[in-house]
Amino acid sequence: MSSRREFLTASLAATGAAALAPRWAAAQPKSMTVVHESSFIKPFDEYFVKTLSPEYEKLTKIKVNYETVSVGSMLTRLTTIVETKSGPEITATGINWPHLFDPSLVDVSDVADEIGKKLGPWHDNIYDAVVVNKKWKALPWGNIGQLEVYRTDWFKQAGVTKFPDNWEDLLAAGRLLKKAGHPFGFELGHGFGDNHGWLYPLLWSYGGREVDKDGKTVLIDSSETAAAVDFCRKFYKETMFEDVLGWTDVNNNKAFFGEQISCTNNASSILEVGIRDFPDIAKVTDHALNPQGPKGRFHVFNAQSHAILTHASDQAAAKNFLRWLYDDKQLSRWLVSANAYYAPFLQKYDNHPMWNAEPRYIPYKECLKTSRLHGWPGPPGHQASESVAKYVVVDMFAKACRGDATKDVIATAATQLKQIYKAKS
Amino acid sequence: MAVRPAELARPVAGRPLTLRSLFEREGVFSWVMLSPGVLFLLAFVAYPFFYGIFLSLQDRRVATAGVFVGLANFVTLAHDAVFWQVTRNTFFYVAVTTVFKLVGGLGMALVMNQTFRGRNLTRAFLLLPFIVPTALSTIAWMWILDPTFSVVNWLLVHGGVISSGYSFLGNASLAMWSLVVVNTWRGMPFYGITLLAGLQTISPDLYEAAAIDGATTTQRFLYVTLPVIKPVLVIVTMFSVIFTFGDFQLIYALTHGGPANATHVFSTWAFDIGMSAGQLGMGAAVALAILPALAVLIVGLTFYLRRE
Repeated sequence: MSSRREFLTASLAATGAAALAPRWAAAQPKSMTVVHESSFIKPFDEYFVKTLSPEYEKLTKIKVNYETVSVGSMLTRLTTIVETKSGPEITATGINWPHLFDPSLVDVSDVADEIGKKLGPWHDNIYDAVVVNKKWKALPWGNIGQLEVYRTDWFKQAGVTKFPDNWEDLLAAGRLLKKAGHPFGFELGHGFGDNHGWLYPLLWSYGGREVDKDGKTVLIDSSETAAAVDFCRKFYKETMFEDVLGWTDVNNNKAFFGEQISCTNNASSILEVGIRDFPDIAKVTDHALNPQGPKGRFHVFNAQSHAILTHASDQAAAKNFLRWLYDDKQLSRWLVSANAYYAPFLQKYDNHPMWNAEPRYIPYKECLKTSRLHGWPGPPGHQASESVAKYVVVDMFAKACRGDATKDVIATAATQLKQIYKAKS
Repeated sequence: MAVRPAELARPVAGRPLTLRSLFEREGVFSWVMLSPGVLFLLAFVAYPFFYGIFLSLQDRRVATAGVFVGLANFVTLAHDAVFWQVTRNTFFYVAVTTVFKLVGGLGMALVMNQTFRGRNLTRAFLLLPFIVPTALSTIAWMWILDPTFSVVNWLLVHGGVISSGYSFLGNASLAMWSLVVVNTWRGMPFYGITLLAGLQTISPDLYEAAAIDGATTTQRFLYVTLPVIKPVLVIVTMFSVIFTFGDFQLIYALTHGGPANATHVFSTWAFDIGMSAGQLGMGAAVALAILPALAVLIVGLTFYLRRE
């Protein structure tokens, strides 16, 4: 370029071409995009990309792209999609997200009814997660359960032949195992799932609650919560080691395969990875329901669902795709590819052959009955999510474990919850 | 005859005003050249900043319209014990890492300014922490700080210094100090390379003159080196403080603010409130809480640069 005029002309031409590019792209064949968090079960994602998407394209000429985001970042991605009103037409949701993103999600009650009639009825507890103001805002395909994952060989060596059914018995087993050099490792740090996975159930099983059904009365300051906190401190001190206080979600998996711990709380992904990469450890790994406390047995609910975003230009096409995907012919195969990692909420699938392939996954189906959303029995809305994001319950237990007084940690949690739920002091 | 710029820019009488002649004007052409940069700054710096202020004054949840609440979010924060813990954490983290990086970086620059065999290779290696993506180096640090697999613990235990390994990320105090070490490791080359540039501007004549006057090594450092590199030292410190205030990746990946908020700083807490809880207004308010401290720094930097 010999002059600045030529440089400017070239720059303007390049800018013009860039500005026009999206218009050309819009003229491409019809397609839609589904965004998912990368599954811990690789065949699940692969089955969609290599089998389901091509089948649908062959049938309808609509290409369905499958976008994945890294584990733990789906909520951030969805927030960006909703705030910019652009991007994928269909999104995966988890936990209580349909409540958070309600105004940006299409009512899919009609499709849910059809699926319920064919494969259902739906399990009762799924309504709390996906039905907002009497409208289905997402279509659930399965729950990712958080259960006890333990080493059968070390438990047997310590004289524990059956996994303990209640927290006190698990504490007794933990003492023996720690003494034998195989401590427990339950996350008490700021991860996104494996901490809540056992601390909410522990709180509930002792009768403790964050807030009442009305979403206004904070209930955390109770003798039941104090009993749960006292138990947790004892459980931590006598069965674990200090590092669990700083663990995030990767650490317990790493410690389990590093043969550092004998028991943790996790999804079935540990066994899945074990079968693939650590077959010797996988042989001596099993699952059990969370132990029960004086007020029952609980698990956290993590309903994985699909929702259609209101910015989708062709919402009917998106619905038709989900209708096809949730047909038994497709859904059944897709769930099988996930090796029972996702426990479906449809009663017709309660005895699905997928549960026969590996009996060690069956507790993940059984836990559905006793699963509750974080913040239960309070409403599953923004405040529940704020409490989770601020680690109110997790930090209450973690502070007690590091040595703070029970009344102090409960008082701090109560102050935080009153602020979150705008409750009267 | 001297031609003034204004005369250059003025169209010649009788000549039609074409696009070509318009671009020949210095004033017009300068603005055309400047506009991409200005637009970029407006779009990616000014707009998010003012939108952040706008959000912080609203009760704004994700996917819903905001309601103007004035300074209510800031009042709520002022009554939140975690906010004050986060404030303490942030200032401790920034202050300690800055001192470490400043002292270490200066030492690094002084060493790299010497003549020795393999100097260029050493310079390249010392820059590695700065070059490696933070996410990758943080994974390496996760292994180094892991209680079971930590090479530090292995050395200490096998060296007979301790009987069992430290919980670098599980213990509240050790977790914060671990983050300080990692941030110092990553940030020191920025100081080192910038101060080295400053050191290389010092004329050897000054050192020779000082040596002839009988100045010791310490005196040469205090009365020749330091005064000359002082402007660079101030600027690099200011920038480093600003970057460290906004540090996110390292803390988020290593501790996510745990254990029990012991390592939460403004950026990680703001992210949790804004993105994980969907409280965009409150999240923006947390992020803006750093503003007064940063504003003082920026104003200080501006005044210093003008004075110099």
